[in-house]
Order: sequence, then C-alpha cells, then structure tokens
Amino acid sequence: MLSLENITKRYGAITALDGVSLQIEAGEFFGLLGPNGAGKSTIMSLVAGLRAPDAGRITLNGQPMSAARPEARASLGLVPQHIALYPKLSAEQNLRIFGQLYGLGGAILRDRVNEGLEAMQLADRRRDPVSTFSGGMQRRLNIIAALLHRPKLLLCDEPTVGVDPQSRNAIFDFLEKLNREGLTVIYSTHYMEEATRLCTRIGIIDHGKIPALGTLDELLLKLPFEEEIRFPRTEATTALVAKLGAHGSVEPGDEHYRFRPQPGYKLSNFYQLTESLGLPARLFTSQRPTLEALFLHLTGRNLRE
Amino acid sequence: MRTILVLVRKDFANFFRNKAAVSLTFAVPFALIWLFGAVFGVNRKDSGPTDIPLAVVNASTNPGAEKLIEALKAEKAFKVITKYTADDKTERPLREADLAALMRANEFRFALVIPEDLFSEKTFGLHLKVYTNPRNEIETQLVNGILQKTIFSNVPQLLGQSLIARGRGTIGAERMDKFNQAIADNVARNFGGDPAAIRKGIEQGDFGAGGLGGTGAGGDSLISQVIRVESIQVAGQDVKSPVATRIVGGWAMQFLLFALSAAATALFSERDHGIFHRILAGPVTRAQILWSKFVYGICIGMLQLITLFLAGRILYGIDVEHHIGLLLLICAFAAAACTSFGMLLAAISSSQEAASGLATFLILLMCAIGGAWFPVTLMPEFIQQISKLTLVYWAMEGFSQVLWANASFMELLPTLGFLGGITAVVMTIAVWRFNRGKIFD
Ligand SMILES: Nc1ncnc2c1ncn2[C@@H]1O[C@H](COP(=O)(O)OP(=O)(O)O)[C@@H](O)[C@H]1O
Ligand SMILES: [Mg+2]
Repeated sequence: MLSLENITKRYGAITALDGVSLQIEAGEFFGLLGPNGAGKSTIMSLVAGLRAPDAGRITLNGQPMSAARPEARASLGLVPQHIALYPKLSAEQNLRIFGQLYGLGGAILRDRVNEGLEAMQLADRRRDPVSTFSGGMQRRLNIIAALLHRPKLLLCDEPTVGVDPQSRNAIFDFLEKLNREGLTVIYSTHYMEEATRLCTRIGIIDHGKIPALGTLDELLLKLPFEEEIRFPRTEATTALVAKLGAHGSVEPGDEHYRFRPQPGYKLSNFYQLTESLGLPARLFTSQRPTLEALFLHLTGRNLRE
Repeated sequence: MRTILVLVRKDFANFFRNKAAVSLTFAVPFALIWLFGAVFGVNRKDSGPTDIPLAVVNASTNPGAEKLIEALKAEKAFKVITKYTADDKTERPLREADLAALMRANEFRFALVIPEDLFSEKTFGLHLKVYTNPRNEIETQLVNGILQKTIFSNVPQLLGQSLIARGRGTIGAERMDKFNQAIADNVARNFGGDPAAIRKGIEQGDFGAGGLGGTGAGGDSLISQVIRVESIQVAGQDVKSPVATRIVGGWAMQFLLFALSAAATALFSERDHGIFHRILAGPVTRAQILWSKFVYGICIGMLQLITLFLAGRILYGIDVEHHIGLLLLICAFAAAACTSFGMLLAAISSSQEAASGLATFLILLMCAIGGAWFPVTLMPEFIQQISKLTLVYWAMEGFSQVLWANASFMELLPTLGFLGGITAVVMTIAVWRFNRGKIFD
C-alpha cells in the first residue's frame, strides 16, 4: 500500500532521515518505535505530503505521493503530534470544520461527528470549548478529527503523549477496532509497551535510520539472548555478578541486575553457579527480553533518554 | 528578593534570545526619534513648512500685483503655481476659471486670485480672493497665516496706489499728475533728490510707509479693515461635520492597520497549534490558507470600518449615507491593502511576538509618514515623496475624496488603482515569502 524507498531528509545541517526504506501492506498496524528526535515525525510529514524528501521515492498504491495530488491525500488521515485543534471552539465545531475541509457536509458529516464523539466518550462535552478539555480528552478529539473522512491509511504521531491511563486504553481499543475493520495504521511512539501491545509489525528507528524491522517475535530473535534473568542488587549477589561477566552482560539497575547470557550459554550452568554460591532460586526471575533490550542492543542507548 | 532577581534574570535571558525584540528595543527608539524629527522638521535651521503648492492667478495689470507675486514666490512656505499646462502640454497663465477643477483634482488646495479690481477708483482699499479646499485643519490655518503675513507686509505700497487711484477718480488724471509733480518738486527742494524719481515713487504708491505691515497687531487690524479678502471654499462646503470628517480617515487607518495585522499574525498561533499540518495533510493547499486569511482580513476590516463610520455618523454627524457606495468601495480597498500589509508581516517574521513588535513600529511609521497625524504637505520634500508609497496616504486620500470632496467614481478610480497596486505588490511578496518561509514547516 505504502512504500518508502531510500528516503533521505535534511533540515539544514541535520540529517533527519538517512536512507529509510519501508513497505507497509494494507491492513497492517505498523509501529515506529524510537526516542525523541529519531525521525518519526519526519517520516509522518513526508508520507502526509507536508514535506518533500531530499532523495528517494514515496508511493501510495503505486502512485507517487506528492504535494500535487490532493485526491491521494483524501485517502490518508494524520493525527499530528501536537493537539491540532482550535482551542476556543467547541469539540463539535472543530470536527465540523475539519470535516468540511474534506468536502463532507449534511447528514453524513453530522453522523460521523456523532459517531466519533460517541466512540471516544466525548459526546456529553461536544459543546464545550476544547480548551476546557483535559489532555486526554484533547488527544481523543485529535484522533477523531483525522478519521471523519474515513481514510484508508491513518498516521498516528505519538497520539498518547501526556494521556491518563483511561484515555490511553480508550484510544487503544478504538484504534484496534478500526484496524480490525480494515484501516491501515502507522503508529509512532517512544513507549515500548504501546508498540508491543498494538503493532503487528514494528520498525525500530534511531538517528534517522531503521536498524531493525519485523514482527515482535522476529525482532526479539535479533537479540543474542532469549531470556533475561533479573535478581536483586545485594551484597550477596555481588559475588555472582563478578563470575557472570565471562558468560554475558550484566546491566545494573537501581535495585536489580539484569543478566543477558551469551548465545549458547546454558541456563543450567547459571543455576549451578547460584547454588554453589548458596543463593536461593527464588531470588531469580527469568523473563522474555523486551524491545527496550533490543533497542539498547542495537544502539547502545536506552529508549527513553 | 533572591527569587525576584532570579525571575528578572530569566526575563532578560528570554528577551536577549529574541533577536527581534532586542533590535526593536534598541533600534526603534532611534528610528522613531529620527523620523519624527524629520517629519516635524526639528533639525532644519529655518523651521516651518516648505513648498506648499499655492496657485496664484493675476488678473490685475497693476505692477503692484507682480510685486506681491514676487513676495509670495520668495516665501519658502509656498511653491507658487502661475501656469496652467493643458493636455497638449502647452502652457498659459492660470485663470480663475481653472481653479475649481484643479483643486478638485487635488493639484493644490490653496489659490490666491488678484482680481482685475485689485483696487478701484470708487472705493478705498484692496480686493483679494482666496480659494481653499480646507481638507486639513492644521494645513489650512497655517497657509492662511502665512498668506496673510505676506500680503500684509506688501500692502502699504499697494494701499498707496489705491489712494492715488482714488484721488485720480476724484480730481481727474491731469490734475493728479500736476499734483504729484508739485509734491515731488517740493520734496526734492526740501530734502534733496531727483524730482523725476520721487514722482515715479509717488505714482507707485511708495510713501515710505513700508514698516506699516510689520507693526504688530494694531497695524494688522488697521490693514485688515482696508483689505477685503474674499474667501471661497471649493470643496467640503456642504460637509456637515467638517472637523470629524477631516480626521476620520486617519483614525480609520490606524485602527485598521492594528486590527488587521493582528488578524494576519494569528497565522502563527494556528501554526503553533499544528493546525496547518492537519489541514495541509488533507486536500487543502498553502495558497488556499493564505487567500482565506486575505478574504477574512478584508471582511473583518470592512466590518470594523463600517462600525467606525457608523459611530462617526451617530456621534459626530459625519455624512455617511450620501456616499455609501463609494465609501464601501474605498473601505474594501483600504482593508485589502491593510490585510496585505499584515500578511507580509506574518511572512517575514519568525514568531507572533516578532510580528506584532514589527507591526507596532511599521504602523506608527506609516501613519506618521502617510499623514494620519500631521498633514503631509507640511513635511520635508523627501518625506512627502516617501509618503506617496504608503498605503496610509492613499487610503486617507480616498476617504477624503469620498467624504470631503464628494468625488465621483471616476475621480476615485486613480486612488483605488494605487491602493490595488500596493495590495498586489505586497501580497505577491508575502506569498513568495510564505512559500519559502517557516510558517508551514
Ligand atoms: N522543522 C525542523 N527544522 C529543523 N530541524 C528539525 C525540524 N523538524 C525536525 N528536526 C530535526 O530532525 C530530527 C528528527 O526530528 P523528528 O522527526 O521530529 O523526530 P521525532 O518525531 O522522532 O522526535 C531531530 O534532530 C529534529 O531536531
Ligand atoms: Mg515527533
């Protein structure tokens, strides 16, 4: 459905995107996971046709996606990273304006506005100015505004920043429902949990490059270890850490250590070692590694910095 | 106290980060002082206005009239116009019949007519006619003052002639000549000198009373009793509320400029809310956003002007209803020009603060130069030239043509043309800058 080939985008001296390639199929829920400044919003703005790439090609359904094709843009919805609403106008007025810009009117517009407000539980506040809404409510409205014209492809640029858990769940449920009904979604975030929960495929993005791309399982396979072992940071475990160094990496946290064994290292060896040091087995929890670990492995940095 | 200092330091740090604010704070006072100095002629050694156009028609054959014209020409406040240039570029002396049309066309707003009967053999005293188009209070008073001063200080000689003319009427020309010859002989005998020269002097009315004009208020009032200045107003004579009508244009323009640049710079708040990203991602183009702002500006401007004139109608009785069609037309053009100015500001600024700072500066500047506060004719020549480049000048011209001079559509057309031209040029630059600028980024 959407394809980016070798996209490069610069802002003066800053290279925001450096040879990015992506293929997104219809019906996917695609995640872009990366820290601030990675280039997520830049990808969104290029796909939305707000900017032109310095090099490379973007096609939507095989057609070049350029500023000159307003019809192509009608099949596309953008949820901007900022809350792009008129704060002094009511929720309903905002939706009506954005709907009308897409050529909607009459009963269709009225129905869609109602549907959106109902789905996001904003119907009872429809006449209130947006400036009186909580951050979470504004975020929900921000999403509805991008869906009025029933796009085929929805670009969600960090739609849950600063949102309470309740709103967040409402947003997730809503987007998952739309995706089941056939909407293709590109969803950018710096929250590993969101990408894990929502996305069928994830691209890890950092410094304008996509070093890893695939389903969650495919991505985690890129890690040289299949499990992480977590244990408390105490005097007793210090001796263990000293011995583990040769078999993998130990990452110190505030209260815990995370041990990531080297490929081929047998966990039975690990438990022999702990037994020999007289450490009880209940101190240790084994976990499936996370995208956080993958990001650290790929970039040497934490996702949230 | 420490807390306050920290907060103050924070404000300074923010301030110095904002380059536009910094340059406005330091450069603007200098620029404004310089400008107002230039406008009001502070630095000129010989203060006072220069080169106000004054038409002079001389229908009198009296040599004294020529002297008066010479004196007016020597007066630096006036640029004396005595010739009429016809359509075929031929020149001839100006006639009284030409004045009304030329004054309507605003070639000049003051004219002095020295009529054939400057002085007659029947009555003692002088007869002069002054034509005015008192569009601007300050200008009119000033011109009248200087005109009076010039006439009065040249009048004693003319009065002497008037005396002789009257004598000639009473005792007959031949006896008058004899009488003059006798006096000249007498003067020459008693005081010395050439009798022929003295007689010529007497015939030209020179009784040696040259100081009379300059002897202050007493002299003036004596003279004003013997000079009959007929004052003829060529435009605005039917205007119901002259004072309000004269100044309403200047108010309107200042008001409009502030309101419309605020409307245009609201583009920044929409950008900062990310709204442009949202709507440009849909089937909306940058050009559509800009033109929508332009149309909105014109509508808001029209609304405000209509309200303003309505207030002028209710409070001061300005005659709005008889000019409503042309008034709406000039309002639309003025609003368009002001909107384009606001759009240009938004296009060249990087933030709303920078834009509104720049707006304040430029609006005050344009209003000063364009004549919203102070008549343009009283400013130095080079400022008068710049004046004609400002939209304030042309808009005020238009308001005045419609409300004061009761102009026809054809007469208003050139002014509308200038305003339209300014709008087109400014909008072109603004759109070009917008497309290269950061507002849609
Ligand atoms: N309009 C802009 N002008 C200059 N640099 C920009 C602009 N937008 C983004 N950048 C830079 O490009 C890089 C990528 O930014 P962005 O795509 O916004 O990242 P993300 O959305 O992942 O946080 C960053 O280094 C950012 O500073
Ligand atoms: Mg971003």
